[in-house]
Amino acid sequence: MPLYEGYTSDKNVVIFDFGAAYTKCGVAGEMCPRCIIPSQLKDQKTGKIKQIWEYNTEDELYENLKDFLFILYFRHILINPKDRRMVVCESLLCPEIFRETLAKVMFKHYEVGSVLFSPGHLTAMLTLGTNTGLVMDVGYNETLVIPIYEGIPVIKALQSLPVASKAIHQRMKEMLLSNGKVKTGNEEYSLSDKPELLTEEILEDIKVRCCFTTKWDRAKKIHDVTLYGADISNLPSPPPSVHYPLDGGSILVIDGTIREQVCEVMFEQDNEQVSVTTLLLDAIIQSPIDMRVELSQNIVILGGTALLPGFLHRIQMELLDLIKQPRYSNVLALKKFRYHQAPAKSNYTSWLGGSMIGSLETLPSKSVSRDQYTESGKLSDWCNLATVGQS
Amino acid sequence: MAGTLSLPDSEVVQYLCACKKWNSIYRLYICRRCFKIRCGDCVLHEVDSPYCPNCLENMPSAEAKLKKNRCTNCFDCPSCGHTLTTRATSQMIPNPDDPGKSTPKKMYYLACGFCRWTTRDVAIPDKPIASGAWEDMENPDAARISTLLEHYQLLAQKEKVEKERKKYSRRRSHLMYAASMDKYGLVSVAAKRKGLISAGPNPTIKENEEINIKTIKEAVTVEEFPPLPDEIFTEPIQLTKKTSISQRLAMSEFQPSEAVELYPRRKHLLIRRSLRCKECEHNLSKPEFNPLSIKFKIQLIALLYIPEIRVVPPGELKYKKDTKIVLTFSNPVNTNTKIQFIQAEGNEGEKVTAKIELPKKELVLAHRDVPAMYADMPAQQDFKDDSSVVSFRKANKLGIIFKVTPLVQEGDVKVCFVLKHDYLNTAATLPSENEEPEIVWLEHRVTVNLGPVTSSK
Repeated sequence: MPLYEGYTSDKNVVIFDFGAAYTKCGVAGEMCPRCIIPSQLKDQKTGKIKQIWEYNTEDELYENLKDFLFILYFRHILINPKDRRMVVCESLLCPEIFRETLAKVMFKHYEVGSVLFSPGHLTAMLTLGTNTGLVMDVGYNETLVIPIYEGIPVIKALQSLPVASKAIHQRMKEMLLSNGKVKTGNEEYSLSDKPELLTEEILEDIKVRCCFTTKWDRAKKIHDVTLYGADISNLPSPPPSVHYPLDGGSILVIDGTIREQVCEVMFEQDNEQVSVTTLLLDAIIQSPIDMRVELSQNIVILGGTALLPGFLHRIQMELLDLIKQPRYSNVLALKKFRYHQAPAKSNYTSWLGGSMIGSLETLPSKSVSRDQYTESGKLSDWCNLATVGQS
Repeated sequence: MAGTLSLPDSEVVQYLCACKKWNSIYRLYICRRCFKIRCGDCVLHEVDSPYCPNCLENMPSAEAKLKKNRCTNCFDCPSCGHTLTTRATSQMIPNPDDPGKSTPKKMYYLACGFCRWTTRDVAIPDKPIASGAWEDMENPDAARISTLLEHYQLLAQKEKVEKERKKYSRRRSHLMYAASMDKYGLVSVAAKRKGLISAGPNPTIKENEEINIKTIKEAVTVEEFPPLPDEIFTEPIQLTKKTSISQRLAMSEFQPSEAVELYPRRKHLLIRRSLRCKECEHNLSKPEFNPLSIKFKIQLIALLYIPEIRVVPPGELKYKKDTKIVLTFSNPVNTNTKIQFIQAEGNEGEKVTAKIELPKKELVLAHRDVPAMYADMPAQQDFKDDSSVVSFRKANKLGIIFKVTPLVQEGDVKVCFVLKHDYLNTAATLPSENEEPEIVWLEHRVTVNLGPVTSSK
């Protein structure tokens, strides 16, 4: 038994969830993260904002993570990193270079005691008290569905789609540039004359404050027009438009159709007939037959994008509709779906699971200690057979 | 005028630190045990003392941990993040003795001086006392989360015990096997004598002890989520009543979407950092405990120990033409410092674009004498400077002439050399011992950017 076992009694285990857009960070055993901050860095000299996930070389990523962790530790958590344990909630599809560099920064630069890398989908199950569920994470870059059965991720049924928050922002940008109007005093010009006004922050703010996922019956009509070329008069009457202040003088007029339609990007089936909702059903089909009913009764939805008003209701309605279509009714005999509601906001549910893992006595036996890391020089990874069974 | 007025963070003169990074002297530290330059990346940062940036009250770190690094008295505006101030008003309340009359009573509320947000805006009642009455909001899911946590903690305990038991029982069964195979009973006798068989595997773990794990309440699943309200399609939204994402995330536990649900948040503490050398673990910087004090208990920044180099603006620098330039060296310590120059060998990541000829002789920098600097007294010592090397001398500064030959036709002229100086190590000897402090020679690799080459046209 390593000497340091029993260390966990003092609650200094730090839990990180590095998201593509926001990083959740806090202390084990607590009910919410101490901070949820954008995963970005401000260059001290030029004042430019830089995303930590944007990197060309490993060294650049190393510097990004080093500076970012510095801010997290010494501005937000105020805990010494040295010889302390930490838990990282990561996506199963996290790039190897990111994990390895993160481990390097933590063990070599900050000299942390041990790190536990835990899949975010799995930790989210802990917050529910069950160990079987169909977990969908709607994040910034992608939507990822992984069935989890008796605590084991069913990797072969994993479904993902690069459509999430970022796609909404892009859709909104396109729509605003094509028909957005800006008013400055009495002057009115179209937004495409000044596209630089539309920053990522503004897009996000518009999404958060004005947009919503519309109802299924309205969405069907919208899809008929936008996707299948029905006459534009078939559109339901749009919600009121919004006057959004861009800066001191100018006002951006956001049309009601934009407010209602931007989120449709997630529900429009692409050429392969895949949308966010079909991912759930596809994942069920890919799972072994005796798991299917149980999975359909335990759907868990995570991720910040799921906080959009109306999103969950829409998923529910669409699932019930899709299951009646021949494409699925021939394969699946499901009639009903049931959903879990985690005791947390969906953008930090994975983090909360991490916080639970981090407060347990078994943490030392499950994490990679600094000694182990220095000995082997790398982490074990589920997709690398050479390292399976080592940890 | 000696030296140029350069911004303290300029990249004109850079020193190589022990972890092979180039930094300006203003960002470097020096370890007095290892005699190496350290930068922000090769020192260990430590959380020293937490304090509140508003009331400047020190908080012991144990208490800070308990309070989740938040000040007990100060609040931030949930709307704009500015500090809230407490305001007093008087309110008429009915007199308990005489119900017909009312008496004034002081009541307090919080207001933001910047965005004019007040606790009254969100219908938080005024408090009868100025501080301490603002309770935190309760997480609605707290009970569920703590039952889950307790449950998992029991499970973890069980897992740990089982693991331990397995470890011991395996060893024992091996011995039992040996004993059963033992024809003459020798092994069991020996084992008994040693007390191996009779003693339990671990006194703390009883053989048949089962950790009682109650099953927890099943998670509740729902079949339906509430649909969007119909008003969203008809009523115009008021942007000012919707919270922005940063306002939401600042209250991560509740993330209100309407501005009326905002609640004052306790001010986050800041910390003073202390720095430690990663190699010898000695402190390089340690601040005073008191947050009001700007002094340090230990402050080993390079600027206080290593001669600082500044560039006197050179004249024209032309391709392949020898030019005399002057660099100013100022001595930060209060003893005379000898300096020497060595040609830099090898390459440590610098881009050298010019050849430099260094003075061969050892030079002496006068000690730093603060009163003399202000009184403008003539230098006390006579250094017999060689005017072909020394351009001027003033107090602790010395202008030294170097010959530079640019090797590029365009771009910046950069030279590299090694500065060697002696350093009186006062740290190694205790003051009680009557030994002479040790003199150490330190070498620093330095690059100097002399500015762009003048085009030959």
